Amino acid sequence: MKNYSVVIIGLGGIGSILCEKIFRFLNYLDEVKVNVTLVDGDDFELKNHERQEFSMLGNKAEVKANDLKYKFDQISVDAIPRFVNPYTIEEIVKEKDIVLLAVDNHKTRNIVSNYCKELRDVTLISGGNELTDGNVQIYIRRGGRDLTPDLGAYHPEIQSPRDRTPEEMSCEELSKSEPQLYFTNLGAATLMCWVFYNVVVKENYKFSEVYFDILTMLSDSKVRILTK
Amino acid sequence: MRHYSKVQLEGMTVAELRSKCVYELSIPGMSKQRKSDIIDAILERVGVAPEPVQTPSVTAIEASFQSTLTKPDARKGDKTTTTIRVSCGASSGAFDVAGKSVGAVADFLREVLNIDSLASGIVNGEHVNDSYVLKSGDNLEFLKPAGSKGC
Repeated sequence: MKNYSVVIIGLGGIGSILCEKIFRFLNYLDEVKVNVTLVDGDDFELKNHERQEFSMLGNKAEVKANDLKYKFDQISVDAIPRFVNPYTIEEIVKEKDIVLLAVDNHKTRNIVSNYCKELRDVTLISGGNELTDGNVQIYIRRGGRDLTPDLGAYHPEIQSPRDRTPEEMSCEELSKSEPQLYFTNLGAATLMCWVFYNVVVKENYKFSEVYFDILTMLSDSKVRILTK
Repeated sequence: MRHYSKVQLEGMTVAELRSKCVYELSIPGMSKQRKSDIIDAILERVGVAPEPVQTPSVTAIEASFQSTLTKPDARKGDKTTTTIRVSCGASSGAFDVAGKSVGAVADFLREVLNIDSLASGIVNGEHVNDSYVLKSGDNLEFLKPAGSKGC
């Protein structure tokens, strides 16, 4: 029997959609034991309801874990109601984990990607979006070797992030959020599901990144080489 | 007397055509005629102007998808496609840009592929500078920054 240890970091616009779809898929897999850890230090508030679905107010990880464990009873669910930072990352991501990263800042992407570089076996799938377009990156390590470039290798904005984690931002900064489109979050979540199936189930490691654009109704996957 | 093309006349309303017959062209008996009959009458009176040349609104991407280049040394009829795949984010296409520099291609395709002015070029997976000259078989990508939001 296979074991999947899945960690979903960020339960906002992308992550709250993504986890519902991933849970449904994983719940009905044969011969696979699944544990999912949901990670988010943020609380669900009514103002988020436009793009996010939670059954009640409260910490997103805890509320969503509670919602999903009753809907999908074949999956063991844990909640970590904390943000990722250089200190918490060790508790959150472990060897052989499949990490689904759906956060809203490059600083956290940098922290997670750099931490994954230190692991022997890990799968990191990271999604992000702007108003009407976005991308999903795939970072895979097996046996202590990179099979695809890390998140920062082709993205200087992640390699040297200028933004900050939610913990580093003031309440005023946190309360200001740029407009986002539910369908774009849905697009990013859907592509992350495609990538999950390709990488985790089919073990297809050819692609490193896929972009999508709602306005042109296009998506394009990229093959990248490992940088020296 | 002004000439009209059939396309111009078909773009007018019946009332406009009838008015033209009465006040401009002095064509009698058109008050109860159908549009096609009125147009025929006008064309008979004024003569047919050449149809305006219809330039299809083909975008650069569409055009480039169809573009092929015959090699100068190719035999007669021996067409060889030497287009290069160029992409930026989700947009991509095959373009006839072999022999051109990455910087020139960026300028040429900036609007078509929505290439940021600061986007760096990657050829066959490796970073290159703007002066790199593209060769047949190259694959050029202009890096689009990763989406920053998601929560």
